[in-house]
Amino acid sequence: MRAWSNALLFALALSGVPSEAAEPTAGDPLDSVMWEYNRQIFLADQPYRFDERVLVELPPFAEDPTQVPLTVDASALAGRIERVIAWADLNPIQQIFNWYPAAGSRARLSLRFKVQQATPVRAAVLTQDGVWHVGSGFVDAAGGGCTAPSMANSDPYWESHLGEIAGRRFQAGSASRYRFKVIHPMDTGLVNNIPEFFLQQLELRDGQGSVLSRMELFPPVSENPVFTFDLEGTEGPHRLWLRDNGGNEFERTL
Amino acid sequence: MLHSHFSRIFKAFALLILMLPGQSWAAPLSYDLKPQLIAEDTYLLQGRLEDFSRGNGGNIVNTAFIVTRDGVVVFDTGPSFRYGKAMRQAIAQVTDQPVLHVFNSHHHPDHFLGNQAFADGTIWALPDTGRLMAEQGGAFSDNMYRLVGDWMRATEMQLPNRPLQVDRLQVGEHRLRFFPMTGHTGADLVMLDETTGVLFAGDMVFYQRALTTPQTPGLAVWLRDLDAIAAIPHRLLVPGHGPAVPDGSAIGQMGDYLRWLDLTLRSAAERGMSMTELMKIPFDARFAEVALRRHEFIRTVAHLYPRYEEAVFQKQ
Ligand SMILES: [Zn+2]
Repeated sequence: MRAWSNALLFALALSGVPSEAAEPTAGDPLDSVMWEYNRQIFLADQPYRFDERVLVELPPFAEDPTQVPLTVDASALAGRIERVIAWADLNPIQQIFNWYPAAGSRARLSLRFKVQQATPVRAAVLTQDGVWHVGSGFVDAAGGGCTAPSMANSDPYWESHLGEIAGRRFQAGSASRYRFKVIHPMDTGLVNNIPEFFLQQLELRDGQGSVLSRMELFPPVSENPVFTFDLEGTEGPHRLWLRDNGGNEFERTL
Repeated sequence: MLHSHFSRIFKAFALLILMLPGQSWAAPLSYDLKPQLIAEDTYLLQGRLEDFSRGNGGNIVNTAFIVTRDGVVVFDTGPSFRYGKAMRQAIAQVTDQPVLHVFNSHHHPDHFLGNQAFADGTIWALPDTGRLMAEQGGAFSDNMYRLVGDWMRATEMQLPNRPLQVDRLQVGEHRLRFFPMTGHTGADLVMLDETTGVLFAGDMVFYQRALTTPQTPGLAVWLRDLDAIAAIPHRLLVPGHGPAVPDGSAIGQMGDYLRWLDLTLRSAAERGMSMTELMKIPFDARFAEVALRRHEFIRTVAHLYPRYEEAVFQKQ
């Protein structure tokens, strides 16, 4: 296995924790020492349970730690999904996104993100009854995805193409699948005094401008990110709108 | 479930290591290379059909040598200084002729980090291979230390000292012919010994072990090169990884796999599949015997799928 040694270090780190049998990892299927810490940050005291119906799909290892594919699929949960939070336990910046899925559409989303080392990845899904359903995945990695300079820093391509959106609609039964790529360096602020510069908001709107689905994005989302959404109903045209933390806005009809 | 299972395995493994006495790490590491006579004067040191590990020390690669009446010709030098030294001992078991010429097929670490043991000979490589080694060899070498550990001790990168710009060379009674190609890494040497008919394909051909794609200029380029390899008359083909074959089965399997990969990636992009969906798709039954196919397919999707996506996104 690639990056086996890191998986091992990760396991060692887990085993080395003295209070392992106590509270911190209680109930966590991945026994991560970071579980309790992150739960408090993201879910606070709200009710939650680990739920295998929330799928966190990852490759077993990160071939490129700056572009790790992730699919979160909560469509097996019944009823309206209010919100989805995704984070990587052992990243220096843990949160990947906050997502408010479109009503009536399949709650499934794919994108690519950065990992700093082998890490559990979580998706917490809030259902209408106020309970968070937590799905987990694990990706092995050699590391460096968050502290490696983005390719953009050696290549000024993005400066003249910032916010360019290329993508396509795919018909999948009664649903439309949108896949698109946005040119953006997604700098984390953790590298060589390059300030953080990243896409912060994303909205999918209908023809009248009403927001169907929106996301808050965080710097671990990969450079030049590629997103995949499924929207029920084919009445379009849908519009995509994004804004970065520099106040730049980007918009396109899909 | 799968993941909790993983983490339990990791923990069990970690515990096992903690319980081992430190001395057990110092057990002698030996590659135990056994030269296999595959044609007149020609020996193959066949690596395992595995990925790099602390168990195999990186010996997952084929190296070979030809004993001519003037001296020895070496094709690839293995993953470490330790391997290079073991290879020299293996050569010395067969002949007391000096090593005259060393050829590095390409700049991947398992093929040239043994160069240090051959620093007294002429080490040839394609000019672009030498450049790529200088650019990426340090990172490759660091990665190898991480993956195989102590086997790498004292290994330092020894660059080739002679750019290969001829297409023929006679060494003793052996007439060597060189074919520069690009499909695997952008600079890939294929060498034919016209005297024996043995074709040393380097990593342009993998057999029974899934091919790797981190530096390929593209599957179409590789397929074109593969046609050129098939057109070179030969009696025995030595792939970079996997057993040597007297017939077209290795080239056939490579071609089938490359075409399947290209078609699979293209149709996935056209259907709008995400990377995680694509990484899970079932394999064609033709490749059921190919070692590490899922592992390398996941890597290949990471390397190449963005290009296929891009082509579809740009097509309005
Ligand atoms: Zn190679």
